[in-house]
Amino acid sequence: MSSQVLAELLWVEKYRPKTLSEIVNQEDVVRRLQQFIKERNMPHLLFAGPPGTGKTTAAHALAHDLYGPDYRMYMLELNASDERGIDVIRGKVKEFSRSRLPTNIPFKIVLLDESDNMTADAQQALRRLMEMYVDVTRFILIANYPSKIIEPIQSRCAVFRFIPLRKEDVVKRLRWICMNEGIKCDEEALEVIHDISEGDMRKSINILQASASIGDVNVSNVFKVVGLAHPREVREMIQLALEGKFIEARDRLRELMITYGISGTDIIKQIHRELFGSELAIPESLRVEIADYLGEIQFRLVEGADEEIQLNALIARLALLGRAAKTVKTAK
Amino acid sequence: MIKYRPKKLDDVINQEKAKEELTKWIELWFKKIPEERAVLLYGPPGCGKTSLIEALAREYGLELIEMNASDYRRKVDLDRIARVAALQKSITGRFKLILLDEVDGISGTADIGALETILDIIQVTMNPIAMTANDPWDPRLRPLRDAVKLVEFRGLTKTDVRKVLKRICNDEGLVCDEDAIDFIAERCEGDLRSAINDLEAVAEGYGRVTLELVKNLLRQRDRDYQPFEVVRRIFISKYAWQAKQAAQQTDLTPDELIQWINENLPRQISDPEDLWHAYEYLSKADVYLGRIVKTGSWDLLSYAVDLMSAGVSLSIVNDVKSKYRWVKYNFPQNVLITAKTKEVRQLREELAEVLAKHLNISKAVARTDVIPYLRVIFNTNVEAAAKLALGLNLSESMVKYISQQNASKIVELMNKLRTESSRKVERPKQERVSERRRDTRGKPGTLDSYFTSKS
Repeated sequence: MSSQVLAELLWVEKYRPKTLSEIVNQEDVVRRLQQFIKERNMPHLLFAGPPGTGKTTAAHALAHDLYGPDYRMYMLELNASDERGIDVIRGKVKEFSRSRLPTNIPFKIVLLDESDNMTADAQQALRRLMEMYVDVTRFILIANYPSKIIEPIQSRCAVFRFIPLRKEDVVKRLRWICMNEGIKCDEEALEVIHDISEGDMRKSINILQASASIGDVNVSNVFKVVGLAHPREVREMIQLALEGKFIEARDRLRELMITYGISGTDIIKQIHRELFGSELAIPESLRVEIADYLGEIQFRLVEGADEEIQLNALIARLALLGRAAKTVKTAK
Repeated sequence: MIKYRPKKLDDVINQEKAKEELTKWIELWFKKIPEERAVLLYGPPGCGKTSLIEALAREYGLELIEMNASDYRRKVDLDRIARVAALQKSITGRFKLILLDEVDGISGTADIGALETILDIIQVTMNPIAMTANDPWDPRLRPLRDAVKLVEFRGLTKTDVRKVLKRICNDEGLVCDEDAIDFIAERCEGDLRSAINDLEAVAEGYGRVTLELVKNLLRQRDRDYQPFEVVRRIFISKYAWQAKQAAQQTDLTPDELIQWINENLPRQISDPEDLWHAYEYLSKADVYLGRIVKTGSWDLLSYAVDLMSAGVSLSIVNDVKSKYRWVKYNFPQNVLITAKTKEVRQLREELAEVLAKHLNISKAVARTDVIPYLRVIFNTNVEAAAKLALGLNLSESMVKYISQQNASKIVELMNKLRTESSRKVERPKQERVSERRRDTRGKPGTLDSYFTSKS
């Protein structure tokens, strides 16, 4: 028991299901995948669904069940967010796909995570590879937004839709982890964790672990974690924007994006969380109006090229709404 | 006008700061190879970048090896000339100064692989390398920016230019009208080289320089507008076509142009309603740009340009006067900030990579969904932090990046745990302490519990 206890892992890693049978929900998906294992054959796969629903875990578990614990020998993992260019597809991926097939396995696997972030060129190149080397290599593509995968690739894949996790499943898993860790936890706190992370299991477990590092897992500690995890710059940015201080608000935004490396979508979500909190003293109708525009901007973020420009539009909107609210107040 | 190229450092006018920085840098080389082996001199055309390097070489007696945009600068060419020069060790202490002029002019297609090669040469060079560029903010130059010392050159003022022109007139015994000099100085937009060329062009044929001659002889040199000028022109446009035209008369690519507009729009426009309307268009233009990148539908580009130029300028209706107000424009700051926070970001990326490997996620997800919670743990619980740091094999600087306040305590505990674990191997059985240790974190003498508390 020496080094195990001395060195801890993040619980997301420590409690990650290793085989398909360990995956708690997504029963439909798991059943179909297990069929592939039995037949030792499968088509190209596309796993689609919101973050933290077990797509990547399922892919790894599938490979594990197929090849055994050393499955990584037969699988090329690429994260398209980090390596998404056509060069990677033509280089690494092509090299691996066409390499000879070891005699003991039916096919190799190329796992492309976050493949909705691949450029159009790269997708076109990929499409050819999927055809050319299908006899020795299968592709598993993972995506949050399958609509961003080009049609010809989608049509070559069996599509698996991962559904958002049910509250009771998330809570059950969290409770199980607490039990294993010997930690006291409130049922209510676990539910709050689920709500905050919107069913994202990865986020849920991270919040759980951070809460446990403060003390018991209770509602107050969970909120403490959420408060601490979100840089105060978000609230400051909203405040400054509502006061009409555009440039200062933008400085905060840049700090969040560049220094902390927080993505635009995540900033939107954090603003959304602040929006209905009591700390933000604004007229109720304004909350709705802001939420409306938040949704619009989040949509454009996914479609657009530059996240800062989109968020600046949001700051401009907040500045305008902030002024309107002020005039209403003084008129009363 | 080769004759009036500055020969001495003192001949380069009004670039005191750049001069000082460069002399310091060159003097470092006489002691040992400095950290920053290359410099990138940037600034508007004709403000003395190349001249300063040439003067520097002359002043310090260095052999100057030059490659500029007229040379082929393919990988092979760079390897043949620049790399060979870079790797020559000086025996006498007299090294070479390598000048890669106009690196922003390196062609993406004809000079393929050139930037990578330059980066590579910078890593290994035994001789100082200087580069020049008008526009260092070209996204292609980003890796280069990160690898070199940046030295800014200021555009010359009209007064600067006038002074030099007058001196030349004196030296050459030319009859020059004051208003003709003014006209040339005005026209050159801070580009001294073009001003001298203009002066020469007129003087050569006529022996005297009058306003009338100057006006008649000098056809407007066709030039693309500098970014600041483009932005200003877009903002002040009254008609849609004006704004569109301004947006087209520039070297900036649409995704660069939108950054310039984005940076300076809130400086120019203060009415919240105007500003929001303008940003609505900018945001939609960005959506088009995004679709172009993702789907390759270049036919959408003109809509993007319409919205970012005409859309923006015609949004300004409440406070029209604000369009014409003079404000100081900025370079897109996000590029600058990115350069300044290089080290922090590097550390963050390394950490994200470690986490990405462990958790099978992308670095982006690691940044947004993992690091914040790791930060909470590291800021609140030294014991848990130290164990995680060991488990994830984090470096000391990563620990510091995660938690400034607890870094030293965490690192201290990590070291203790490490030594304890090696001792532990020798005497494996210890008394069992099963309670959770929240109150004993960091205290010596209770460390055995870390090995046995969880079972």
